[in-house]
Amino acid sequence: MAALTFIHQNLLHSTPKLTTSKPNLKPKRTKTKLSIQTIRESPQASFTDQFVLQLADSLEDSLPSSSSSLPLQKLRDNSSETLLSTQWPSRKDESFRFTDTSFIKNSDINPISHPPNSLDLLEVSRDTQFESFNFVDGFLVDSSFSSSKLPDGVYVGSLSQLSSEGILKRVCELLGDFEWGDLFWSVNGLGAPDLMVVYVPEGCRVENPIYLKYIAVEGADRGSKKMPLSNPRVFVLVEKGGEVGIVEEFVDEISHIKMDKLPIFVVKQMLKEKTSTYELVEVSTGGKLSRHNVHVQQLGSDTVTELTTFHLSVGDQTQDLHSRIVLDHPRGYSQQLHKCIVAHSSGQAVFDGNVKVNRYAQQTDAGQLTRSLLLEPRATVNVKPNLQIIADDVKCSHGAAISDLEDSQLFYFQARGIDLETAREALVFSFGAEVIDKLPYSFVQKQVKDHVKALLKSRRKGSS
Amino acid sequence: MAWQIQCTASPPLLPSFPPFTLKSTSSISLPLPLPPTRSSRFRSTHAPSPRPIAASFSAVESTTSTDGLGNSKTPLLEVKGLTAVIAETKQEILKGVDLVVHHGEIHAIMGKNGSGKSTFSKVLVGHPDYEVTGGDVVFKGENLLDMEPEERSLAGLFMSFQSPVEIPGVNNIDFLHMAYNARRKKLGEPELGPLEFYAYIYPKLDLVNMKTDFLNRNVNEGFSGGERKRNEILQLAVLGADLAILDEIDSGLDVDALRDVAKAVNGLLTPTNSVLMITHYRRLLEVIKPTFIHIMENGRIIKTGDSSLAEVLEEKGYTAISAA
Repeated sequence: MAALTFIHQNLLHSTPKLTTSKPNLKPKRTKTKLSIQTIRESPQASFTDQFVLQLADSLEDSLPSSSSSLPLQKLRDNSSETLLSTQWPSRKDESFRFTDTSFIKNSDINPISHPPNSLDLLEVSRDTQFESFNFVDGFLVDSSFSSSKLPDGVYVGSLSQLSSEGILKRVCELLGDFEWGDLFWSVNGLGAPDLMVVYVPEGCRVENPIYLKYIAVEGADRGSKKMPLSNPRVFVLVEKGGEVGIVEEFVDEISHIKMDKLPIFVVKQMLKEKTSTYELVEVSTGGKLSRHNVHVQQLGSDTVTELTTFHLSVGDQTQDLHSRIVLDHPRGYSQQLHKCIVAHSSGQAVFDGNVKVNRYAQQTDAGQLTRSLLLEPRATVNVKPNLQIIADDVKCSHGAAISDLEDSQLFYFQARGIDLETAREALVFSFGAEVIDKLPYSFVQKQVKDHVKALLKSRRKGSS
Repeated sequence: MAWQIQCTASPPLLPSFPPFTLKSTSSISLPLPLPPTRSSRFRSTHAPSPRPIAASFSAVESTTSTDGLGNSKTPLLEVKGLTAVIAETKQEILKGVDLVVHHGEIHAIMGKNGSGKSTFSKVLVGHPDYEVTGGDVVFKGENLLDMEPEERSLAGLFMSFQSPVEIPGVNNIDFLHMAYNARRKKLGEPELGPLEFYAYIYPKLDLVNMKTDFLNRNVNEGFSGGERKRNEILQLAVLGADLAILDEIDSGLDVDALRDVAKAVNGLLTPTNSVLMITHYRRLLEVIKPTFIHIMENGRIIKTGDSSLAEVLEEKGYTAISAA
C-alpha cells in the first residue's frame, strides 16, 4: 500500500509544511510501507536509473488513460520529470544509510491499477466503527461521510468531485510545489489515481477530526517476489486562522481475514492563527519497512511545532523516521520527542532528526530528545539527532538515550510482589504510553493502546 | 498491664487484644517473674538485657504461646551469620549478621554511615546489587534466600525504599492495583476490578494524609522527599506485611511529615506483625517505640539493647558503644 500525505498550509506568517509519502508494497503477512520525502538530490543523480525508468513506465501503464483533471495531470507531469533524474536510493545516500531498500528493488513491483471488487469493500467497511474516508489499495472509495456535518466552505473529498472553482485554483497553485521530495514522493505522485483534498477556508475551525483510513487489501504470498504498490495521495490546505485535526490510520487486510493488522497512525493537528501551531503525533508499529519523512518549514515568526513519535518493531522490520525542522524566523518554539522500542533480534529502528536554527531565528526554543529501548540481543537502533544552530540568541537542547529496561525499576515492581514478566510488560508499555497519551482523541488513544498491548503480548507468547 | 507501660505513645496498639488474651489464657500472673523463661524463648543471639520492657514483651509471648497460635516457637525472622558482598565489586559489606525478630516486635537498627544497615535491609528483600555469600535467613519457617524478590514480598516481607525510584508512564494507582492483585492471586482470592480497588484504596489515603490526585500521578515521578516516603507507607498500608522494613523512613522529612508517617506506621501495627526500622536519629524512635535497638558496625550487630541505648548514643556517640 502506498499512502502519501501532503499537508500544505498557506499562511502569510508561517507555514508549517508536512509531507508524507508512503508507497507500500506488500507480500503476504509482511507489508512494506514507505513514506518518504525530504531528500536532497544527490549531485550524481543526473543520469537515468534504468530500474526507476521501468517503474515509471509500469506506473504510467497502470493509470486509466482517460483525461484527468488539471491539478492531477500537473502532479503526474512533475513527478514523471523528477523521476527521470532520480536514482533508486542506496546505502551510499546519507538519507538511506541505515535503511535498506534493496529488497524492494529485487521484487516484482506491481502497481495496483483498479480498486478491489465490491465484496472486498464490504468486508473492509464493516470493520470501520468510525466515520472515515477509506482508501482501499490507494483508491478513495465512497464513504458514508456526510459533508453536511462540515462547516461552510470546507471541502473534504476527491478532487474529481470538487466543484468549487476557487478551491481548485488554490490546489493547482500549490500542488507539487515541494522541493524536498524524493524518489518515493515522485513515485507516488506519478501513480496516484486520484487526489484527496482537505480544504479549510480562512478562520474556519473544524470540530470533528477527519479520519483517513488507508487499507491494503491486495497482497502477495510470503516468499513471492510480487509486491503490489498503491499510491493514495492527500492534499491538505488550511488557510489563515483555520484549524483541523486529521487522523490517519494504515491497516493491512489480507484476503478478508485480519491476519496481521498493522496500522500506522499519523495524527496531525493544526491551529492557524496569527501565529501557527503544528502538532504531529505518530505511532507506528507495522510494516516490513516503514519510513516517515517529515519536513516542517517555518515561514513566519512565533510558530509552535511539536513532533511526538513512537515506533515499535516487534518483528523482522524497520521503523524509520527522518524529520527536518527548519526555523528561519524569530521566537519559534519546537519540541520533538522520538521514542522507539526494538523487540526482535532482526528488528531495527532508524531516526534522523534535524533541527536547523538559521540566522534570523533568534530567541528560538528548540528541544529534541530521542529514547530507544532495545529488548533483544542484536536488536538495532541507528539514531542521529542533530541541531544546526547559526543564530546566537537561542535556547536549544538535544539528547539521545539507548538502553534496556532499568534494573532498579524492575526491582521496585518485584519488591511489591509483581513478577518480572508483568513488570517488564508494564514498563515497556509505559515507555510508549508517554507518546500515545499525546494523541488528541481518546478513542484513538484507546485503540492504539489496545493495539500496542496486543503486539507486546504476542511477542511475549512468541518468545516463550 | 505491661502493654500499657510499654506502649503509652502508641494508642493504636491498645485495642483490647492483649488484655483479652491474657484473660482467656490463664489466671493473670504478673509478667515480671518471667525473665528466666524469656531468654530461652527468644533464642536471640543478642539477648536483650533483662529490663522491664523486655519483660513486658515476654508477657505477650507467653500469651501467644498458650492461645494456640504457636508463634512463639518459630520466630518471624531468623538471621544467622549472614554475609554478603556487592555483586559488582565483590566487596564484603555484611560480615556475619545475627538477628531474631518475633511476632509483634519493633526493632531498630542504628549505626554509622557505611556500617551495612541499608545493605542488610536490601539483602533481606533480594536486591540484585548484592550477593549473599554465607549464612541463613529463615522467614516464617522458610528459607528466604531461596526466594525471588517478588516471592519474598508475597510471603509478607515489605521494605520501604530509602530513595524510591521514579517510574515515568506508570500510574500510581495502576501500580498499586497490580501489586495488590498479585497479592490476592497469591492468596487465592479473586482479583479486584479498578472500581472495587478504588473503593479499597480511597480510605487509605487519609492514613498518609495524601490527596486523591496523588493516585493519578506517575509512580514517584516529581514527588518531593516527603511524598515519596508517604507513598511507601501507602504501599505498606495497601499491601500489608508481616515484617515491614523501614529504611530511613525519617530521612528528609520535616516534623509534620514525620509525625504523619509515624502515625500511619503505628496505625498499621497489630500484635502479630513486626517492624524493623533503620535510622540515624532518635526522634523517629520517640514516635515509633522500639522493643529492641541494635547497633551495627562494620557489617555486624555489635550490641543489642532496649530503647535506653538510643539515649546513650545521643550523648556519647557510636565510639562509646563500640568501645564498650
